[in-house]
Amino acid sequence: MNPFAVLGLEPSFDVDLASIEKTHRELSRTLHPDRYVGAGAAERRMALGKAVEVNEAWRAVRDPVRRAEALFELANVPVGERVEPKPTTALLMDMMEQREALAEAKAARDMGRVNALARTIEERMAATERALSEGFRRGATAPLVQTLGELRFYRRFLDEVSAIEDEIAHGAA
Amino acid sequence: MALLEIFDPKAPPKPIGIDLGTTNSLVAFVQNERPQAIADCDQDFLVPSVVNYGPKGEVLVGRLAVARAALEPRDTIVSVKRFMGRGANDAETRRLGPYEFVPAKAGESNVVRFRVRGRELTPVEVSADILRALKRRAEDELTNIGGVVITVPAYFDDAQRQATKDAGRLAGLDVLRLLNEPTAAALAYGLEKKKNGLFCVYDLGGGTFDVTILLLEDGVFQVKSTGGDSALGGDDMDRLVAEEVLNVRGGSPTEIRAALDMARQMKHGLTDASEVVVEDTRLTRERFDALIQPLLDRTGIACRRALKDAGIKPEQLDGVILVGGSTRVPAVRAYVQKVFGKEPLADIDPEQVVAMGAAVQADLLAGDAQDDVLLLDVLPLSLGIEVGGGIVDKILPRNTTIPTGARATYTTQEDKQTGFEIHVVQGERELVQDCRSLARFTLKGIPPMAAGMAKLEVELKVDADGLLAVHAKELVTGIEQTVEVKPSYGLDDEAVEKMLLDALDHGEEDLLARRIAEERVEAHRIVAATKKALDTDAALLGDGERPKIEAAIRAAEDAAQGTEPHRMHSAIEALDLASKEFATRRMNRAIARAFEGRKVDDVATEVG
Repeated sequence: MNPFAVLGLEPSFDVDLASIEKTHRELSRTLHPDRYVGAGAAERRMALGKAVEVNEAWRAVRDPVRRAEALFELANVPVGERVEPKPTTALLMDMMEQREALAEAKAARDMGRVNALARTIEERMAATERALSEGFRRGATAPLVQTLGELRFYRRFLDEVSAIEDEIAHGAA
Repeated sequence: MALLEIFDPKAPPKPIGIDLGTTNSLVAFVQNERPQAIADCDQDFLVPSVVNYGPKGEVLVGRLAVARAALEPRDTIVSVKRFMGRGANDAETRRLGPYEFVPAKAGESNVVRFRVRGRELTPVEVSADILRALKRRAEDELTNIGGVVITVPAYFDDAQRQATKDAGRLAGLDVLRLLNEPTAAALAYGLEKKKNGLFCVYDLGGGTFDVTILLLEDGVFQVKSTGGDSALGGDDMDRLVAEEVLNVRGGSPTEIRAALDMARQMKHGLTDASEVVVEDTRLTRERFDALIQPLLDRTGIACRRALKDAGIKPEQLDGVILVGGSTRVPAVRAYVQKVFGKEPLADIDPEQVVAMGAAVQADLLAGDAQDDVLLLDVLPLSLGIEVGGGIVDKILPRNTTIPTGARATYTTQEDKQTGFEIHVVQGERELVQDCRSLARFTLKGIPPMAAGMAKLEVELKVDADGLLAVHAKELVTGIEQTVEVKPSYGLDDEAVEKMLLDALDHGEEDLLARRIAEERVEAHRIVAATKKALDTDAALLGDGERPKIEAAIRAAEDAAQGTEPHRMHSAIEALDLASKEFATRRMNRAIARAFEGRKVDDVATEVG
């Protein structure tokens, strides 16, 4: 599936999310299963299939990791952690340290420290996204796969931060 | 002057909405564009969610069951909603009441089973008994009921939603949709007409508290965040009054019950008076308000967290809606006003508002005028697959708009591995042990290959009700295997079918009559939809297509007159097939129009 085509877009890493969200909403209004409650089974299945496709496309386009993956796939560059080049030792060491710091902050229930660590990674994530955007614009697709790997590490770190936030917030009550 | 309604056997089936609550349930419908709840002959709208099972297999629901609860505590299931989608071995299950549980056997679904009068009953069956009572009430009022919308809490996970839908099916209801309770409350207030806004729903019931932040954008509702406390409600207020005012801190169950009833009576009295005297005990509203302040503060913590999760400040809210009987307490209203800085909406009865909203949605779904409002739900929790080392591979992140689907491919870790164990979990954490298990199954029969050679594709699909389906296939051999998923905390289709047959044994249902009715509803639905499409989109018909479709319509109408479900089913399928290409053309045009509408919008914004 080409998620850009499903949403009527040209493939690009630079996207106007507010405008695409509106397109997604219009398509949902047309295709959502609630619009086909009275229809026949075949038509219901068809609408459901298309609604799923539109939602998958929207999810792919709005997430920088998946958006980059879609662009690589369109350029026939294989992606996925098994085929991508291994991360550099420097990145691995660095992420290990950050993770340890996060685990310590969590154990101390120090939300200030957790947030500070998250901000550092958010900034690096933003810089990595800028690098991807520039790379795709220059058409230097294949060498960018390494950058995508970096983005994955940051994403997972921030996922863990939000899980910790939930846990501390809910445990405090 | 009220117009008399004349009984019309051909009256179209009336869609209904059901609030299947923890403490009380009720049913509502829409008449003359206004939702209204249905009362019994005593003008009572609420059906207590209590079911009593008698020695001869008789089933009592509601007030009659409440009356037996004290005498037959183990045979009277109270607040069954708390058990929906739970595991038999969950620590929490044991804490929830005086029941006898059947331990889960190895290899069997880990669903809660009550042992009642020698029968094993799941929460799905108990809920179905409540739904049957509501169905009877609706049939008494409306004769012929149509599609049903049932509400669920916004935080309900897949297993809990599935259990609710199974209960509806078991009760013989045509469940059109499950609807989030807070969204239902917003619909009852007609907030969808505003097109845009941010709303908070504050729901304080008998034993649970929920707070939800809802976003309405261009007529599309989304749940932004939810929070609450599953053990906080009006019952806690009664207990405080019983302990602190009536000085009852123990004693026989009968004594405690009497004290709680008296406390509740005092609480109700204080809604309109500043002081009550019951059996020589005096209680002022001032003292009562001070007693319940700690409970209110606990709701405040959850409210502030929900606002933070949604990333908004109280002043950004366009409205706050009160739901649940406990929000009648004046101190609760004052507290809500203080926390959110605005007066809450309370003109609809807070105990009826959710059922009324469900009725509005059922009416919208069944009717033609569906153009204004759409409820877009999102996944409340991420879905993932267990990979090596107990790590979760997150496949569908939370807040993904549903319906949706996603695929991921995996490979074997050992040489000559012929089976894959697939474990689907729900939750935000990285480790499987910190997430909730949804389904586990093994894909077998893969020919022996070297490690890493086999390629397994797992597909997760989530429908518009938030229900999950899992499919797996091995890509290298091309073997597509249908895998039966055994939900970790739910019932598989086979189990639900068996329950349907059991109900038959108990003389409750006539299965053939039900099949006929179901197929007939479906036939009427499709015939009506196809006729309407022929009228409105005649221009999209190809050469010779109209007579072909019209013949199939006549065949379906003929079959629906009869009493053979199989014939009706084939006629429906034939009509589906005959109009398939026409339907495809109509859908493609609708998509093209959605893109066009968008472009027109863009131009308008640029010019404006």
